[in-house]
Amino acid sequence: MQYCNHCKVKLKNQKEQCPLCGNKLAPLEDDLEKKEIFPIIPSYLKSHLTLRILILISIILIVFSFSIYAIFPATLNWPLLLTFGLISIWLDLIFLVQKRFHIPKKIVWQVAILSLLSIFWDWKIGWIGWSITYVIPILCLVAMIIMYSIAIIMKLSPRDYITYVFIDALFGIIPIIFILFNLVDVIYPSIISIAISVIFLAAIFILQGKSIISELDKRMHM
Amino acid sequence: MKPDNKVKWTRMDNASKIFPATTNNRDTKVFRFACELYDEVDPEILQKALDITLDGFPLFKSVLRRGFFWYYFESSDLLPTVEIESEPVCAALYIKEKRNLLFRLFYFNNRINLEVFHALTDGAGVIWFMETLVYHYMTIKYKDIFPKDIAKINYKASISQKMSDSFEKNYRKGSSAFKKPQIPNIKAYQMRGTRVDENRTKLIEGAMSAKAVLDLAHEYETTLTIFLTSLFFYSIYKDMPSKMRKKPVVLSVPINLRQYFESFTARNFFSTMNVSYDFENKSAELSDIITSITESFKEGLSMENLNKHVAELMSLEKNPIARIIPLTLKDYTLKVANAIADRGVTSSISNIGRIVMPPEFAAYIHQFSICVSARRPQIVLCSYGDRLVISFTSPFLDTDVQRIFFQFLTNRGIDVEITTNL
Repeated sequence: MQYCNHCKVKLKNQKEQCPLCGNKLAPLEDDLEKKEIFPIIPSYLKSHLTLRILILISIILIVFSFSIYAIFPATLNWPLLLTFGLISIWLDLIFLVQKRFHIPKKIVWQVAILSLLSIFWDWKIGWIGWSITYVIPILCLVAMIIMYSIAIIMKLSPRDYITYVFIDALFGIIPIIFILFNLVDVIYPSIISIAISVIFLAAIFILQGKSIISELDKRMHM
Repeated sequence: MKPDNKVKWTRMDNASKIFPATTNNRDTKVFRFACELYDEVDPEILQKALDITLDGFPLFKSVLRRGFFWYYFESSDLLPTVEIESEPVCAALYIKEKRNLLFRLFYFNNRINLEVFHALTDGAGVIWFMETLVYHYMTIKYKDIFPKDIAKINYKASISQKMSDSFEKNYRKGSSAFKKPQIPNIKAYQMRGTRVDENRTKLIEGAMSAKAVLDLAHEYETTLTIFLTSLFFYSIYKDMPSKMRKKPVVLSVPINLRQYFESFTARNFFSTMNVSYDFENKSAELSDIITSITESFKEGLSMENLNKHVAELMSLEKNPIARIIPLTLKDYTLKVANAIADRGVTSSISNIGRIVMPPEFAAYIHQFSICVSARRPQIVLCSYGDRLVISFTSPFLDTDVQRIFFQFLTNRGIDVEITTNL
């Protein structure tokens, strides 16, 4: 074993310097005792570089577009739209990465975020109503179907996705407001969304009622 | 319909609640219990031993989940696998939303390394798990050497006793219920240093003869724990810049409540006491520190104080307002409360105690050691036979406190063997 004369300690694993006082140590002659106690763990820091470059590119694009707009003015304030577009992408990405371990939860969040973003965009470019006519009903519908498919493919047990299908089905009924208040001209996407949601809700209650209750009991315990 | 409609879940006990709320990359709240053998570890046998051991510790098979109001443990069918060590010491185990088990079992050459997220259990619980694991490992690996009737494993308790929440059980509403935990308003001295890259933990283990240290403690007419606690105070003082001396040094000492209340739980059941020493007004002689610390220990370990601690921990769960606050808000509240309480603490020292294995195993087991993720340099120690291992973990590269601590022991004629991970 190596020995530090200053600290008067023996060293179990081979070192160049004493871990306590930092003085140089005489290397060990025989290799017999060289059995590492801890492995060398490589650094994990490289992966974030791509992300940083992407953020930098986004900022460069925004600055660039505003500069061009300032030099060559146009009737449409397109750099602002570009900025909103990039912000939308990043917002969505942040949520995607944050909830990456829980797919059904992620899908519900995506539905919520994309719905809000679509309303925002629709409003920003002069309210045509495409967000509530098409985007929201279709999003709810697609999300429900995707969740159910993923649950089957990944063999998730009902408790892992049932709550989220339930929440999404509740979302899916929201278009009823659009119809009741005459907010939409084309009503078939809303009607389909409502119908399918009601069927899903009924199925959940009839087939998985116990699951829902025990899930709620667990999640809401005080 | 799938049969798992009724999934088993367990409320989280009170001491545990703070851990998921305050865990982060800098302090993962993971602790490592290592068993060093004389031979290389056989991963297949270790896997077998783990499978048998887990049957007796159902909570280890659960994952931590977030409810709307509280965290809870949910039983899972994940199968833990033994792996060659591939992560830094005490790397994060609980990652929000990721449903993984709250422990991992690594092996590397002669060492079995069990790492556990603190919300699952405390030092006493993990010793128990490790003793069972090593027992099974030994009896499978050396089944020809050990006769069938070799010292049977001491199960100590039924599975339901192991699963019980001892805080709930030992909480008497009358005692000092609904008393808010008092957050001390003193700012203790804080150690500073250069951080290790990637927030890794620097571990320095010093192994020595337990008897030699005990003899030294007896020279000062005190116990091992009080002697080493005082020595830690002394080392911190020696390293402290003199302009900082007006702040007291405060060490937090965990107390295993199983000794004081009747409990066989394998879950968390501990409390902590803060022991402080004011170097500005008091002498820095080790013998004077010992006298003062002895008094503090006596006071902190009185039944009255222990009951108060249990009541304080329970008060959060029993407080009607706290109960209806959503978990996300609770997390922030606990984080803030923890940060404030943290300012009043310099470091901590925890003596896990003696590990007892059947005497026949002595020829195969070299030592046990235990360490914990650290916000600041801190100590955990345990002993097996005559081998006492004192583990310093630190987020800093600086090793002055450690050097002063171990040099004091070697200067008094104790042989110390040092092991480090970085």
